[in-house]
Amino acid sequence: MYGWIWRHLPGNAWVRALISLVLALAIVFVLFQWVFPWAEPLLPFNDVTVNGGGNAG
Amino acid sequence: MTLTVRGIVRTISELCVTAGALIVLLVVYLLFWTGVRANHAMDDEVGTLQDRWARTPVSSAATPAPAAYHDGQPFAIMYVRRLGADWHKPVLEGTSTDDLQHGLGHYAGTAHLGAQGNFAVAGHRRTYGDPFEDFPTLGPGDKVVLTDGVTWYTYVIDKPPYLTLPDDIGVINPLPAPLDRSATPYTAPGRYLTLTTCDPPWGHSHRLVAWGHLDSTQPVEQGMPRALLS
Repeated sequence: MYGWIWRHLPGNAWVRALISLVLALAIVFVLFQWVFPWAEPLLPFNDVTVNGGGNAG
Repeated sequence: MTLTVRGIVRTISELCVTAGALIVLLVVYLLFWTGVRANHAMDDEVGTLQDRWARTPVSSAATPAPAAYHDGQPFAIMYVRRLGADWHKPVLEGTSTDDLQHGLGHYAGTAHLGAQGNFAVAGHRRTYGDPFEDFPTLGPGDKVVLTDGVTWYTYVIDKPPYLTLPDDIGVINPLPAPLDRSATPYTAPGRYLTLTTCDPPWGHSHRLVAWGHLDSTQPVEQGMPRALLS
């Protein structure tokens, strides 16, 4: 999987390494900005109210 | 990629490493990043309140009525010395996921500050700044001080936290009525405070509840109440 990505990136080894780093950072950003905020309320840490066991709403 | 045993094993290994990295990132997000974001959001809410209160100076001649509670908006700041010398959090109207990411949440429909009935507030035990992390250390005599910009309200906790089930909604009744009737310290209507959070800290199977009664009030122009000065 990673080998396949590496072979399909353009440029020499240094350029590929740089693009890989940027791609990795972009994925981390997407995760922190959108994916984890979406997933976090599905985990049990939000249930702090007495309301019959649903979410905090 | 040709479908060799080596290729299959390699791909599975890479997927496992990726899944592991994802889980580590999620833990970093929960333990660290939600706290950073929540502390920032709570500081913003406290700043909003202090700006609003500074713009409408309190005159002792005509005491203005406290502002109405608007859903999702902060209306008070809570101070609890037992939870930290500098522990203070904004209180927002409502207990939605979003409200609780910006501070403590006042159960809509429960009494207003200082009013007859039960002023009920929920907060995170873990994640989003861990506001109620030390909830179990609350005990009889601990002061919970709130201000709405007009008045200081000092509530006093009456019992150690009561462990109950998530559907025990009677705990936030005007006269608290938990499933275990012997748990409530109150038998007559009064001006009460209820704090709720989850238990165990990272779980959702139970709730912890602390009750207090209104001990004293004083206008803000008289300065901070004694509970915060000592």
